[in-house]
Amino acid sequence: MKIKNIIFFVLAIGISFLGATWRWGDSAHSIGLVKANGGEAKHPSFLESGKDSYTLIATARVIPPYRGDARVKLEGEPEMDYKLYASGPIVNLGVHHWPVFKDDTFYDLNPRDRIALWVVMKPPAIDPVCGMAYQSGFSKYTYKGKDYFFCSEGCMNSFRTAPEKYKDLDGVRGKYTLAFYDTKTEKSVLRVPVIFKGKGDMKDAGEHHH
Amino acid sequence: MQANTTTNKKSFFVTHRYWIVILGILLFLPPLSFLFQFSQDSNFCGTWCPRMFFVWRKGISGSEFLTGFIRSYLGVALVLGIVASTLFLGRYWCSHLCPVGGTMEVGSRILPRFLKINFSAIPAPSFRYGYLAVFFVAPALGIGNLCCNYCNFATIPRLFGAGFSQADMAYFLRTAGLINLGLVAVLGFLAKGGRAYCNLLCPIGALDAVSNRIGLKFGRRVVIDESKCNGCNACAKVCPTWSIDVKEKAEIDQLSCMPCRICESKCPKEAISYGKIKA
Repeated sequence: MKIKNIIFFVLAIGISFLGATWRWGDSAHSIGLVKANGGEAKHPSFLESGKDSYTLIATARVIPPYRGDARVKLEGEPEMDYKLYASGPIVNLGVHHWPVFKDDTFYDLNPRDRIALWVVMKPPAIDPVCGMAYQSGFSKYTYKGKDYFFCSEGCMNSFRTAPEKYKDLDGVRGKYTLAFYDTKTEKSVLRVPVIFKGKGDMKDAGEHHH
Repeated sequence: MQANTTTNKKSFFVTHRYWIVILGILLFLPPLSFLFQFSQDSNFCGTWCPRMFFVWRKGISGSEFLTGFIRSYLGVALVLGIVASTLFLGRYWCSHLCPVGGTMEVGSRILPRFLKINFSAIPAPSFRYGYLAVFFVAPALGIGNLCCNYCNFATIPRLFGAGFSQADMAYFLRTAGLINLGLVAVLGFLAKGGRAYCNLLCPIGALDAVSNRIGLKFGRRVVIDESKCNGCNACAKVCPTWSIDVKEKAEIDQLSCMPCRICESKCPKEAISYGKIKA
């Protein structure tokens, strides 16, 4: 019985360490401040390049005296498909003020409001050789069961001669920004940097804790 | 061990436990999320977070650690309230009020018996404290974190919310969300008794269990009157946290027991009761 307990204790430690250290790379959490003169998220959010879909949970508090409507936009190249969902009470009992989120805009943000926005992003496929984003007319080549898209015969031939060199370069990389703009002044009130990295560069990635 | 109270009349907390559990679910979880709205929250994430404030993360300063307590002040109050009440009354939060464990138990009760998995071969305290050790140590060493990625207090409310809100639905569109869903399904809804998640992977439950053990001398607990017990095993069969071991007489592991008191209702000899433990 004693040995069984020790085995399960060690087993739990092993499984939990694996769970704690494993990075999924398809989601991140940012915490920021909405400020009249331009707020910024405390840490950039890192995501692993090459996934089909990503989720960023952007939470923020409105710092007084800011008050107003703020439009939210994901900025970066190449353009990415994304959807924004604001988290809030399903049945609003009216105990607290809640900003209304409609058409990618927070209406009536009040000082000290808390917002939680879920950003679901679907990046375009990238030509792994030249880095161009997918457009109609790209040709497809399947390598090891995965589809790759190329802008030209030249790119596809380069890939075919050295697929191992290019196979992990088919996802978006670099910096995007989830930007909040006051609708009246057009001034930026919050910027959340979102950085897409290759798997090898993902040491500090995964969910960011605060 | 003997209890100093033996009554034939069943307690309200025994006969109405499922109603109290359902009340907890209604108060805490979507669509109403009643208690959260007083602090401009819509779930446990934020002011009510009960899982993060007590974890030291590598690289943070003392004041940043304390800021976590202030940010989640209602979560701090909740955990302190749970642990303090457990010292004296036993783990009533876990058995009667927790909407997270309650949902899994009610879910498991609704599912047909042939689907259920029996986890009772796992020595729960050993596993639980192995998990809790990593819960504390991994962030302190800066090598990872179990707080948010594997959070039962995030998953269960969003399971309710997903039917109403796309933001809650988005929770399950990520790898971490799907893994949590799997854990909750296998260790909760599909577990015999519905409490394997609580018993193995809940950090609040693990802290609460320590409080249950510490308060043994002066608090009220579920106890067995050995003079009445005939070792029939009826109690052990129904225990959702597999904390009763029957050799000649039944014995309760107070590190896993919560006062759901299902065993009390099942005991043909009325040997189980809730009260102070006599030395």
